[in-house]
Amino acid sequence: MRLFGRNRFEARMAAELQFHVDAYVEDLVRAGVNRPEAERRARIEFGSVAGKKDECRQAWGYQWIDDLGADVRLTVRMLWRSRGFAAVAILSLALGIGANTTIFGLVDAVILRVLPAREPNRLVFLQVAGTDGPNGGPPYPGFELFRDRTTSFDGVAAFSASNLELVIDASREQVRGLWVSGNFYDVLGIKPFLGRALKASDDQILGRGGPDGPVAVISRAYWQQRFGSDTSVVGRSIRMFDQTVTIVGVMPAEAMSPEPGRPIDIAVPMMLSNPASLRDRGDWWLDVIARLKPGGRIEPAQAETNALFQTFMADAQMPPAIRALSFDHVEITPAARGLDRLRRQYASPLTALMILAGLVLVAASANVANLMLARATAREREFAVRLAIGAGRARLVRQTLAEAMVLVSVAAVLGIGFAVQAGHALAAFVAEGNRPVLLNLSVNPRVLLYTLAVSLLTGMGFAVLPAIRASRVNPARGLQCGSRSVAGNRRALRVGRVLVITQVCISTVVLAGAGLFIRTMNQLHSVELGFAPTGMLTMEVTPEQQWFGKPAWLAMQADILGRLHAMPEVRVASWSTMSPLSGRNRGTGFYVPGFVSQTPRGDEIHLISVSPEYFDTFGMHLAAGRGFTLTDGPQGPKVAILNKTAAHFYFGDHNPIGARVGFSREHESDYEVVGVVQDAKHDSLRAPAGRFVYLAIPQSVDRINRLALSVRGPGDAGALAASVQREVHSAGPALLITNVSTMQAQIDQSLVTERLVSSLAVAFGALALVLATIGIYGLLAYSVARRTNEFGIRMALGATSGGMLWLVLREALLLAFAGVVFGVPGAVGLGRVTRALLYGVEPFDFASVAGAVLLLLVVAAIAGTVPARRASRMNPVKALRSD
Amino acid sequence: MQKQVDLVQGTLDMLILKAVSLGALHGYGVLLRLQQLTGGRLQIQQGSLYPALYRLERQGLIASEWGESENKRKAKFYTLTAAGRRHLKAETDSWHRFSSVVAGVLDAVTEKP
Repeated sequence: MRLFGRNRFEARMAAELQFHVDAYVEDLVRAGVNRPEAERRARIEFGSVAGKKDECRQAWGYQWIDDLGADVRLTVRMLWRSRGFAAVAILSLALGIGANTTIFGLVDAVILRVLPAREPNRLVFLQVAGTDGPNGGPPYPGFELFRDRTTSFDGVAAFSASNLELVIDASREQVRGLWVSGNFYDVLGIKPFLGRALKASDDQILGRGGPDGPVAVISRAYWQQRFGSDTSVVGRSIRMFDQTVTIVGVMPAEAMSPEPGRPIDIAVPMMLSNPASLRDRGDWWLDVIARLKPGGRIEPAQAETNALFQTFMADAQMPPAIRALSFDHVEITPAARGLDRLRRQYASPLTALMILAGLVLVAASANVANLMLARATAREREFAVRLAIGAGRARLVRQTLAEAMVLVSVAAVLGIGFAVQAGHALAAFVAEGNRPVLLNLSVNPRVLLYTLAVSLLTGMGFAVLPAIRASRVNPARGLQCGSRSVAGNRRALRVGRVLVITQVCISTVVLAGAGLFIRTMNQLHSVELGFAPTGMLTMEVTPEQQWFGKPAWLAMQADILGRLHAMPEVRVASWSTMSPLSGRNRGTGFYVPGFVSQTPRGDEIHLISVSPEYFDTFGMHLAAGRGFTLTDGPQGPKVAILNKTAAHFYFGDHNPIGARVGFSREHESDYEVVGVVQDAKHDSLRAPAGRFVYLAIPQSVDRINRLALSVRGPGDAGALAASVQREVHSAGPALLITNVSTMQAQIDQSLVTERLVSSLAVAFGALALVLATIGIYGLLAYSVARRTNEFGIRMALGATSGGMLWLVLREALLLAFAGVVFGVPGAVGLGRVTRALLYGVEPFDFASVAGAVLLLLVVAAIAGTVPARRASRMNPVKALRSD
Repeated sequence: MQKQVDLVQGTLDMLILKAVSLGALHGYGVLLRLQQLTGGRLQIQQGSLYPALYRLERQGLIASEWGESENKRKAKFYTLTAAGRRHLKAETDSWHRFSSVVAGVLDAVTEKP
């Protein structure tokens, strides 16, 4: 670029012009003129060398760079002289830009990012769908059909996430695993980081895999965390399901699975999984991803796959109503961005946050615009002088823009720094707990580009008004002393007032929004759980596989409970197949003789198998009948307990006690209902409780393997953790304990998006409030300073100092009031847009809006106090003399 | 002193292009050649050549190269580019048309009543 050859250009230009002058001098000397005279003539006839050099620079295009450089240097000097203004402006902008960059980083990581696969636009998901929407992939035999008999694809692969139990060096561990078909990494086109990836040949033989025997690959993150980045991990053996599995490679962490945000530690070929699941035509546990042939289109591929699916389903035993809901046909959707579970969860919150962050940035820009306007007016004389000595108006406008750009550039750099820190905090926030979300929030080129665009727009935005004012300076008037009239002063403040009103309006919206989310959190925290979470510890305990469903496991459960009940710090403990709000679910068919369901899903119910102490441990109240006792054992009559919702659904107002129910059409009357228990939240705090049936563990229809242990103590639950785990291990050293957490933490975990949104909204609200305060204070201080003359006149005519105080304070309150009036409809609008995130509050929530309004009015009054006091204490004589 | 003619910027560009078209020249050489071609009847301020030369080079009508002058000093030589040649031809045609039209007007004889 020409910029870099500048020195060379200058040297050469000087040499060229010097050559000309010298040549002319020589010619004159040769013609007989004496040298000094020749040199004098040459200089005169050539003209001003410096002037010609400037013209040459202009012709070459360097002038604008020189001017820009001069503007920037002047700007930096002037900003350094007004350090206060510069600091406030840069900080407000930095916070606004930082907020926007952070949220965009989230949007990028969750919504925009593309899978790190080869040609991701050719990847598609093959999903079975019905009127309820898409529902995952086909059963394994169906997947085999798609894999072998379709012609539209370059490869069809299957995957399914599942917690796996490994034994590494004789210690049992639970890891996040992914069952994959052998061709999975081939179809995705992902290269391993170390060693090799899984191949189709590793997935041929049932139970053994392939020629290399059972193999697996691990993720780079797991490799670093568990194996300390030891390169000898390739070839290492671990034990899984009583088989020796060799680790053959390490894959990049983000490329382990097509589900963004879900961390996967190890990927294992499907042939090593339970052979029953591979043969079962009714087990829908897979997701299927495929690569279209180059240039292939979705419609013909979908038609071909659907035709195969219909033949597969031809002999499936499925009620037509259920089939229509979820298993009707095959849909092909683009897979470039991976499965959309994370996107669906975060789409609404991120929209709300982007709106809030954008509003905060506008408020910050209004602030800076106001500050710059005040400076522009103060510099009117300087501009008038510059115009008078020949600067074009364009030059003044350019200088204002240069100032804006310098401010914005420094702010952008600071803002990116804020965003990086905030990104780390956010990533840590969502990665906590038992259901972590893995987000890579590092700054990438797309985010930087966004920051650049936002900064430019912001800079242009707040520079417009000052630039217009700079261009309108009247040199004659500006040069006069004492030229300002009272009316002129008032007019100049009008724009400033509009800006402050805009700021207050925005602050109202953001604060009201924050209020809405705070209230939502409060409502969620005070939701009727149906059980008492305080003082409760929960963990999952898994025995070795040979114990699944065996009486020995039952005996150990009783042993452990006995030990725990003997501990003084434990009040009661119990087992259950899952605990509330753990993210686990178990649904099953449920049949009541004589009951015909009106809705397609009426035959489904949630099933939890529990030990007798369960209701006691959770503080759940029995509405009718009895709970489980030790007599409800493997040999006793089979009993069941319903929750209120189920009882009402199946039996209406009749007493269900004594009724017989069952879990399949053939065994409709196996169980007798002996009790009705109150509803308890299970899936989430927002969702209603749903229908539940409780069975005693020894009488359960499920084979009991992993169980949740819930322990209630009189004191703090967290302190129990170590001692409870010790007891469990002393009873069964080979037991695997995972997901240890207090019930309260488990509840908080289920609210992670709400907590994210409300914390950020509160932060933005505080920011908006501070900006509004600075804006009001700044405008009033400036207004008082400029209207000093007017105030002097008022005082000379008899105004009291109390009257002056009220004059200024009134202006503060009026500004705030006007802003609030416009802000309230905006707040309602925000509420409507973010309705999906709210719980228990309406979009127009009086408390939030009133709170925001009150807060702003109070803040405005406080902000106005200092200028008001200054006005009231003015010396009228000095005021009259000032200009 | 013969009548000096004042130059409009566009015509200076055209003259420079013509001078350079006759052979590679440095800035002083362009001045000498123009003085030679006009027989000294055209007064060109020497310094004004250079902004014009830089402008023409920026527009791509002439190209420059550093070389050695007759007295072994380093000098910047300018040559006409293909685009410059085309531009010169177009401007020359346009000038001839313009001057013949103006001459036609100026030579008009008063009409007989």
